[in-house]
Amino acid sequence: MATPDAVRMAEPGRRGLFVGILAYRWATLAWMTALALISRDRLARGGLALVVLALVIVWNAAFTMRKGWERPSWRWVDLGLSVALLPFAGYVMEEGGAAGGVPFFATSYPATSALTIGAGGTPATGLAAGLALSIGLVASRPVNGIGLDELDSAQWANLVNGIVYFVAAGGAAGVVSRSLARTAAERDRAVEEAARERERAARLAERDAIGREIHDSVLQSLAVVAKQGRELASRETVAPEQIRDLLEVAVEQEHALRDLLSHPPEEVPPGAVSLRTALSAAAFGVRDVPVTVSTTSGAWMPAGEVDEVVAAVRQALENAARHAHSSRGTIFAEALDGAVVVSIRDDGVGFEFDEARLAREGKLGLLRSMRGRAEALGGSMDVRTAPGHGTEIEFRFPRDGSGVDV
Amino acid sequence: MSDDAAAPIRVVVVDDHPVWRDGVRSDLERSGIAVVVGEAADGGEAVDVTLAEMPDVVLMDLRMPTVPGVEAIARIAESAPHVRVLVLSASGEEADVLEAVKVGASGYLLKSSTSQEIADAVARVHAGEPVFTAPLAGLVLSEFRRVSAGARPAGEPGLTERENEVLRLVAKGYTYREIGERLFISEKTAQNHVRNILTKLQLHKRYELMRYAIQKGLDRAPD
Repeated sequence: MATPDAVRMAEPGRRGLFVGILAYRWATLAWMTALALISRDRLARGGLALVVLALVIVWNAAFTMRKGWERPSWRWVDLGLSVALLPFAGYVMEEGGAAGGVPFFATSYPATSALTIGAGGTPATGLAAGLALSIGLVASRPVNGIGLDELDSAQWANLVNGIVYFVAAGGAAGVVSRSLARTAAERDRAVEEAARERERAARLAERDAIGREIHDSVLQSLAVVAKQGRELASRETVAPEQIRDLLEVAVEQEHALRDLLSHPPEEVPPGAVSLRTALSAAAFGVRDVPVTVSTTSGAWMPAGEVDEVVAAVRQALENAARHAHSSRGTIFAEALDGAVVVSIRDDGVGFEFDEARLAREGKLGLLRSMRGRAEALGGSMDVRTAPGHGTEIEFRFPRDGSGVDV
Repeated sequence: MSDDAAAPIRVVVVDDHPVWRDGVRSDLERSGIAVVVGEAADGGEAVDVTLAEMPDVVLMDLRMPTVPGVEAIARIAESAPHVRVLVLSASGEEADVLEAVKVGASGYLLKSSTSQEIADAVARVHAGEPVFTAPLAGLVLSEFRRVSAGARPAGEPGLTERENEVLRLVAKGYTYREIGERLFISEKTAQNHVRNILTKLQLHKRYELMRYAIQKGLDRAPD
């Protein structure tokens, strides 16, 4: 089974495992070198042993610098080298040394090859590597002229110890690696799932906002066109401007609908809703005064917050339509540093903004409710008005990008 | 150069709906400030009628068959620069409107405006006043922010602090008079700021075209 190594290597947990094994590799290599130097005089072929040891060090340097553990072929070559080292160790030792009575300088180092293969593969490949080393270990006796039947019980115990050590090392590294990979895969799935869920919520919120407003307005306009059209059709003569008015209603609705349904031209991050869409939908529901919506690019809010924003804006519009006697309304939303500012302005009668007096007259309810919504999102509300000068309500919502993938 | 009441503003109306043209004609003529000297149903016709009649103001729809409004505006701006173009368009066409303004339109009005508003806008555009709507201001703001976010070659003008302030107020629905009151400047000054903003926008377009030409090697004379 081919393993997507590159992908699995990216996993920090497994990288940590490999670094640990690499440290172990060098520690055992140092131990092996120290042993060889100390017992050089007692070796049958000391010179050859040092030459091979130098080659092993060079191989390990290359293995470390080229990140050999990330490449399956390097891992297997490394294993082959370790397997070969085992009988070779017996060969360079003095007569009978391969039986395991004296410090056996190849023992602990070859296990790193099994660890590396286990960590880079599965428990099965780890076990296989451990077995290959075991075969090398067992073979080291007959290859060096010691029959297995000649071993005493302590030498047998030594041999079995080595086999268990190699097999357990390879298998255990494989198990650890597999559980790290599974944990990583589960975490990736969870992260992906959460992102999908957020995006779905955003889409639903957007569709919801559109759906809520479209229904009444379009149906109402169609009813108006039908009723007036019937009336005009029953007349003898019809002035062009009367048809124009009707045409206007139809064209307005067509464009407003098209605008609303077409994807917003600006890109919003996943998990966010375009304020242009959400506010257009809110404005669409206002029928008493024409409301225009304009936004700068980048005006969006996280899906979880956009409903509160729209609710606050709708209250402001309600205020403008009901109390201000205005002839038009304007909504403007822009993204500034770390915040979104939404302003709702009407050209109506305006009022004296005296909170104490408004409270006494029981007129502060709506304003308080709007401010409450803004503050619930960590934002603020400003009112700018004067008698005869219209009213501007400006909301400032902080936007730190949490909850969306910016 | 403002005309007195005795000399009505000469207007060409361009729209592919004949009913709409008739309506605008009767509205304008009833207002007494303007007279419709020509009509066109398409951008190509619009250029021909404009060059033949040389009106003061062209009232231009954008979405038309064959030759679209933006192209007609560009041609008119080139061949008859003194003719002012007022775009009359449905909502939801702001991106087209931005293009129209970049190639030389001096104003923009929604089709849903009342006859009085249309007549006023014709008079204002004729007097050299920029006619702007809030949604267009939002688009223009985005455009300048987009440009300033990217690497802007030296010499290409950005918005001044004051122009930015004025544009934001236009986007919020303030009139020039209200902007003047709020910023303690005269109404005329507020208008001037907006006119300068439009000029800069048109300059951007020119820079864009120039950059494009240089990229393509079109600026080099043929050997």
